[in-house]
Amino acid sequence: MILIDRLARGAFLLPLVFMLVFFALPIALTAVWSVFERTMFWMEPGFTLFAYENFFTSARLWNFLASMYHSLIAVVICLVLGFPIAVFVHRRVPQVAQHRVVLLFILPFMVSEIIRIFALRPVLQRNGLVNETLQYLGITSEPITSILFTPTGVIIGEVLSFLPFIVFSGFLAMEAVPKYIFEVCEDLGASTFRIYKDVILPLAAPGIFAGSVFIFVNGIGVALLPNILGGPGAVNAGLIATQAIVALDFPLAMAVSAIMMVTLFGLLYLGHRLFDLTTILEPAR
Amino acid sequence: MNQMEFSRRQMMALMGSAAAVAATGPAAAASEPLKLWTIGVAKVGGKDWSAMEAQSGISIAYNAKSARADEAIQKMVVGDGNALYDAMSDNGGGMEDALASQGVIAELDVSQIPNWANILPTYQDGGAAADTIRYEGKIVSVPYISNADSLAYNNTVIGADLTSWEALFDEQFRGRAAMQNDFGPTLTNTAIYLKESGKQDIENPSDMSAAEVKGVCQFLIDMKKKGQFRTFWDGFQNGVDLLASEEVLVSSCWEPIQVVSAKKSAQDIRYGTMKEGHQTWNNMFMLTKGGEERGQAENFYKLMNLYLSPWFGARTLATFGFTPQMQGVNEYVEAHPDDFDADAKATIAGRLANKQARLAIKGNSWQNVFPTNIRDYQDWWARVQAA
Repeated sequence: MILIDRLARGAFLLPLVFMLVFFALPIALTAVWSVFERTMFWMEPGFTLFAYENFFTSARLWNFLASMYHSLIAVVICLVLGFPIAVFVHRRVPQVAQHRVVLLFILPFMVSEIIRIFALRPVLQRNGLVNETLQYLGITSEPITSILFTPTGVIIGEVLSFLPFIVFSGFLAMEAVPKYIFEVCEDLGASTFRIYKDVILPLAAPGIFAGSVFIFVNGIGVALLPNILGGPGAVNAGLIATQAIVALDFPLAMAVSAIMMVTLFGLLYLGHRLFDLTTILEPAR
Repeated sequence: MNQMEFSRRQMMALMGSAAAVAATGPAAAASEPLKLWTIGVAKVGGKDWSAMEAQSGISIAYNAKSARADEAIQKMVVGDGNALYDAMSDNGGGMEDALASQGVIAELDVSQIPNWANILPTYQDGGAAADTIRYEGKIVSVPYISNADSLAYNNTVIGADLTSWEALFDEQFRGRAAMQNDFGPTLTNTAIYLKESGKQDIENPSDMSAAEVKGVCQFLIDMKKKGQFRTFWDGFQNGVDLLASEEVLVSSCWEPIQVVSAKKSAQDIRYGTMKEGHQTWNNMFMLTKGGEERGQAENFYKLMNLYLSPWFGARTLATFGFTPQMQGVNEYVEAHPDDFDADAKATIAGRLANKQARLAIKGNSWQNVFPTNIRDYQDWWARVQAA
């Protein structure tokens, strides 16, 4: 009996052990390896900030900042498109069906990410569906080439890939907003805009922020997007790290990863200070 | 090729090898398969490795490998590659030196490979590609495919043959040109063009100085800013799609990309011979130290004998467009009319002639996996990307 109790208590420690081994340890190793000395084929223990200097004083920094900028645009678009969907589902769909409706957004994720992204090519390309349709309707006379293989293409890819996350997090955040609040606001004659601005957004802010961070970090990290939809040499942080690995520059790849992690933790800290992210886990009142 | 005939022959060969195994007794039958770590295009003759096994008389346990040098280095030098694989493939002109210097591949006894006598003269002592299979003068690898990478172009749309890299940078193809998203081949091909056209002084396009790398990249940045490139392709399918969809009309790419995009689009997409030269490369097999210790040298040599046979050479040329590494391919094709119909014969002869034309260009430069100033290559490539 005592043994079973101990095992049961030990089982609660498993997530902690898992997080230590598969999350904390790799992060620590990434930071340590980023200051190692590069050798011809690997790296050796030492302390040098050369990889960071190499990152911050080269064009990689501008590539990184550009990918952050594009990700930010994708976050804003996802918010504009996705959050109203979450609000709509919460307010207008019968409670019994709400989770099923939200689950519909999982369906695209049943298809491999590379296929989903590659499938945008025949839609957006020179002889693709969009251009053929526009020309058939007489709206354009020549193919539009400023969509695919440009930052616009990458942003479209990010929005289509990550939109469900803002719907999920928005819906989760809205579950914490009691429905009577909408009725009170409407009874008091508040406009829809004002209800959004002064009531819904502040209440849902932690969830929205969490979803936004997820989209932002994926935008700068998923190498497939600039690779398939971006223009000549389009990169993000994920691709910068991959290319460093290809060139056997492991400390640089680790430094890029460490910089991404610092960015993520910085954002989470900021979000927590502003919105108290622990409220996401609080039960609906 | 007559598929039915081929299947029948495969069956005969399989039966033959089964009989041979039975005759040599249980020891041979029980021998371990050769654990091969290689890329998909190392196999010809069918969807699986059975034809290769039948022809070589050995059993093969295939393990998929990417073409990335970093993966091979990590696995073999700091990973468990020697425990996992008996033989592996990678690029010549760098990887054999890297792996041999780390003591993870074995020196080869080529007297165990009868078809070695048939290898292209360029690999013999003193040949142009001799160094690409040797480490400190000793043979450590066996080449099985090679090529001189060139420019693919859509002849249906362009209506003319292209014979110079100039086309890639010509404003008439502005926004319809692509290069590979990899600093190695892209900087080397651009350097060959700039050197041979007299636009820049470059001593060795395969191993440029920091200043030369800067000059080449500044040229590419200028081109990129003018909107010359539609994109830089990455990966086989990506390269095929760009050409087949007419998104680009000219692209510096691998020959299989041209072969497949032409087939897919039913357009006349050709692979030109560039008067300035091409980046040449090969892929080769190496016997790992682990494989040698496990007694797999004999199996390895049998497989290498197949890779240096016209049986393999004719098929890799017909299927993927890669250059056979042995002499006598045309003769073999002529002697096997059941395997190669008139169309296949014409394709093989045409490709072989084109390859010989490309390989004869004076300005060709060998691929260099680890150029001396690799950090400058990396840093300047990042600037090209950021431009």
